[in-house]
Amino acid sequence: MSDSILVLGSGPIRIGQGIEFDYSCVHCVWALEKLGYRALIINNNPETVSTDFDTGDGLYFEPVTHDDVLRVVRSEGCLGVVTQFGGQTAINLAAPLAASGVKVLGTQPEAIAMAEDREQFDELLTSLGIPKPAGRAVRSLAEAKGVAREVGYPVLVRPSFVLGGRAMEIVYSEEQLGGFYAEAEDANPGQPVLVDQYLLGQEAEVDVISDGVDALVPGIMEHIERAGVHSGDSMAVFPPVNLSVAVQELMVDYACRIARALGVKGLMNIQFIIQGEKVFVLEVNPRASRTVPFLSKITGVKMVQVATNCMMGQSLASQGYKSGLWNVSTQDIGTPTLEKAPFYAVKAPVFSFQKLAKVEPSLGPEMKSTGEIMGIDFEYEAALYKALIASGIHFKPGGYVILTVTKDDKDKTVGIARKLLAAGYKLAATPGTHTRLKEEGIESHLVMKIQEGSPSLLELIFNGEASLMINTPTVGEQSTKEAKQMRRACIESGVVCITSIDTAEAVAQALHLFARPELSNCMPYTEYLKQRGSLR
Amino acid sequence: MKKILVIGSGPIVIGQAAEFDYAGTQACKSLREEGYSVVLINSNPATIMTDEETADAVYIEPLTVEFCERVIARERPDGLLPTLGGQTGLNLATQLAQQGILQKYNVTLLGTPLSAIQKAEDRQEFRALMREIKEPVPESWIVENEDQLAEILDLVPFPCIIRPAYTLGGTGGGIANTREELWETGRKGLKLSMRSQLMIERSLLGWKEVEYEVMRDKKGNCITICNMENFDPMGVHTGDSIVVAPSQTLSDIEYHMLRTASLKIIRALGIEGGCNVQLAVNPDSFDYYVIEVNPRVSRSSALASKATGYPIARVSAKIAVGKTLDEIENPVTGTTMACFEPALDYCIVKLPRWPFDKFASGDRTLFTQMKATGEVMAIDRTFEAALMKAIRGLEVKQKDLRHAKFQAQADEELGESIRIPTDERMWAIAEGLRRGWTVDAVRKLCRVDRWFLVKMQNILAIEKQLQSGEQVAEQALKVGYSPSQILELSGGRVVAQDHLVYKMVDTCASEFESQTPYYYATQGTEDEATQSLGTPLQATPVFSVT
Repeated sequence: MSDSILVLGSGPIRIGQGIEFDYSCVHCVWALEKLGYRALIINNNPETVSTDFDTGDGLYFEPVTHDDVLRVVRSEGCLGVVTQFGGQTAINLAAPLAASGVKVLGTQPEAIAMAEDREQFDELLTSLGIPKPAGRAVRSLAEAKGVAREVGYPVLVRPSFVLGGRAMEIVYSEEQLGGFYAEAEDANPGQPVLVDQYLLGQEAEVDVISDGVDALVPGIMEHIERAGVHSGDSMAVFPPVNLSVAVQELMVDYACRIARALGVKGLMNIQFIIQGEKVFVLEVNPRASRTVPFLSKITGVKMVQVATNCMMGQSLASQGYKSGLWNVSTQDIGTPTLEKAPFYAVKAPVFSFQKLAKVEPSLGPEMKSTGEIMGIDFEYEAALYKALIASGIHFKPGGYVILTVTKDDKDKTVGIARKLLAAGYKLAATPGTHTRLKEEGIESHLVMKIQEGSPSLLELIFNGEASLMINTPTVGEQSTKEAKQMRRACIESGVVCITSIDTAEAVAQALHLFARPELSNCMPYTEYLKQRGSLR
Repeated sequence: MKKILVIGSGPIVIGQAAEFDYAGTQACKSLREEGYSVVLINSNPATIMTDEETADAVYIEPLTVEFCERVIARERPDGLLPTLGGQTGLNLATQLAQQGILQKYNVTLLGTPLSAIQKAEDRQEFRALMREIKEPVPESWIVENEDQLAEILDLVPFPCIIRPAYTLGGTGGGIANTREELWETGRKGLKLSMRSQLMIERSLLGWKEVEYEVMRDKKGNCITICNMENFDPMGVHTGDSIVVAPSQTLSDIEYHMLRTASLKIIRALGIEGGCNVQLAVNPDSFDYYVIEVNPRVSRSSALASKATGYPIARVSAKIAVGKTLDEIENPVTGTTMACFEPALDYCIVKLPRWPFDKFASGDRTLFTQMKATGEVMAIDRTFEAALMKAIRGLEVKQKDLRHAKFQAQADEELGESIRIPTDERMWAIAEGLRRGWTVDAVRKLCRVDRWFLVKMQNILAIEKQLQSGEQVAEQALKVGYSPSQILELSGGRVVAQDHLVYKMVDTCASEFESQTPYYYATQGTEDEATQSLGTPLQATPVFSVT
């Protein structure tokens, strides 16, 4: 019997499937080599480390498709293939390859289907007594309308088996449903469309490593933007700063039970929505997620290596781990806590809107970012500050901050406006926001939206007086022509444009560091971990 | 010299993707092999280069001058390697030097000297140098403010190209057909240029675009790694172009004329490391123009590395610390030195991957501003097979040369789809050819070289035969259809028997013995992959190149 294993890469870099998956594939290859296997790679992306011929024991520079993979497996007589590290590209090949008689290592195609096929997944969660937003998979518009009426608008409409929230939309009325349903159906023809109750709440996610019995949660990431912004476009913080101990315990409990029920061998990612103390499971991805490199670096758990060992038959116990939430301070399983963490790491998305004329830059359920960065420091605000400037939200003190927000966001805007004023920024606001600020005793320069006349906020943007715009889209009308025009004006003039009130609050929270960056630290990231004795 | 600072390229954005993780990781490894201690700064955690095992100290901190200075103050490196972190790394290094920070902490810039980088990147200095060495550059104007822009509006021949200096992937650039377009795009470009500097030049629309990847060491030894030719003629950003390597439509005279020019340029600039030279060639004469030079490791050099097996970033890092090409071992063969020019006995096709499946409202037109987020590369023995393999691996709806959208277009509309470059133009061209439009008629619209169009016709001929159920399985496999594609196209009537073998990418077309297990599939008889399994390769080459 051959000892060759073929690791499936993630193909070309696109929005939703970026360099994170290449990172995981490379680490899987190294882990397999450590275990004594001959680790081979198949991938066709010339930009990456995985296609460096130095990385594995063999490189097949071929498309990652069923036929091309099968040909290599047959030629090499491979023991099996690894499909859980190469993003949706690789995991989508698990079932067809298994059907062709290829051994899929780790989590089995049946378990993958149970997580990805909506009907099976609903049954699983129901049998485990784990809550999820009401809704189900449908195969016709009439059925979609029925579900929407049953659970009530707004509903989240999305295609199944697609990465990056492609064609995912929040739908507020039956009139809108037809168009978005067609888009979702078109994004993955032949597969059902998912229609779910849209819950507005706090989002969080976990990655889980399991050997089929035990399940290790290396960390919980709390999203900064509330539900409705794609997880790939959200800022996120590790460890959580707002989630209660009870909520964290529920998340870990659900994660461990789902991993065991599915028989996950390797990695899995779960997305949650939290309302009050109630935790809903939004989706389960039975593969390595885009947060694996981030969490691996800051938790001290070599996630891909541990997962690969599990995939190849080692138990978590034999590797010195057990079920539960990892604690970075003690480097052991522990209970969640709300005490100040030894350090904070904030992940922030980076966009390429300047290169893409006419693209709507506001955040929504469909992923738009091309990359990400990390800010790490001992204090949350400092980590936040570093994440913001590293992602390009970099503005000098002084200029105008233009505020133009939706009705629901006006309360929060008041607090943000006070902080901005205190930090020495000048405020400009469109009529609605201006009036609200005035009621609170906050002065701002009145500017008009584009169609309302002069002085228009566009003038401030184009004449270089604006340093930042906070513009939250009206619910259900993400892309009105005028709003998009304002946001594009910012993009084209190099003015930072923030479209989620939660991101704006994060900026306000870190504002004092923009004036005094020396309050942040600068050291190798391993030292943030080590200074609190967290690395093994 | 003991400790070296490497600056990474930060987050993935259009124009700066995973290629710099590959380059940076190789560079760190290469420097540590030479015994240096490496300090790294990069804000992107999703990279192999920021693994704690890659460097001696890894800073995941914002890529700003301020944080770089803090890293320098804390680590006190002796040298800084600026040319492996893309434009971001290069711009930061330039700012650190200009603000006196490198001098203050006594940090030496390694590799290509700053003066050479400026000569390559500053349009005015570059043009002056090209004139001095008598290399042709297209007539152009440099403007640094709106008044200067206004002055030249009536002087410039249209269409013209607008290129802002010091930006990523040509941000803010474009083509202008009228004074008004020049004014609008020009103003935008001035704002986006780090130096507020624009070059406006005569458009070479329709000329062939060719690139040479070249290396030079401190002693002046120069080699070409490979050349690459764009399927799309001038006017589309290289990052958005379909690229083949080696060039397929240049005559031997043209190949050597451009090679000589590229080597002359890298010498004149005094580059120490890898460098990319872009040239435009008149398809109807021997005229050519030098378009631009990237004095650093780039997306093209990553492609060239994978296309040839020659590790450009690794060798560049060694050159930066003073080694010469004849002293560096080629790790692919293990027997030759880095001064051997790679030889290719296969054809490479690169296809860009665009984000328009997600951004339906985006402008799909391609010009000098890059829009692709990623790319795929395919290796095979013919252009046809490599193209089909690349399409199959692109993970878009289209798996071959068929595209429902263009099949549904009326002739006139299709003509426009062929004329205007977009991410889907290749399929429009195929549809034109499928309708029996002559190669010359299609060429007139898209200016793509006849050679490529004839090759596409070859694939389309097989497509037609398969659709009518003719037993052409072998020919279909040869032009790159996979067994299930053949089954699907023929409606189950044609069943293909694979004669697949794996060939090695060894940098030397099998002239020397090679040990690197880097393979591609092709239809043939002699398998080079299974030979290397367990037993060592035969000492005599499979076939030798004279």
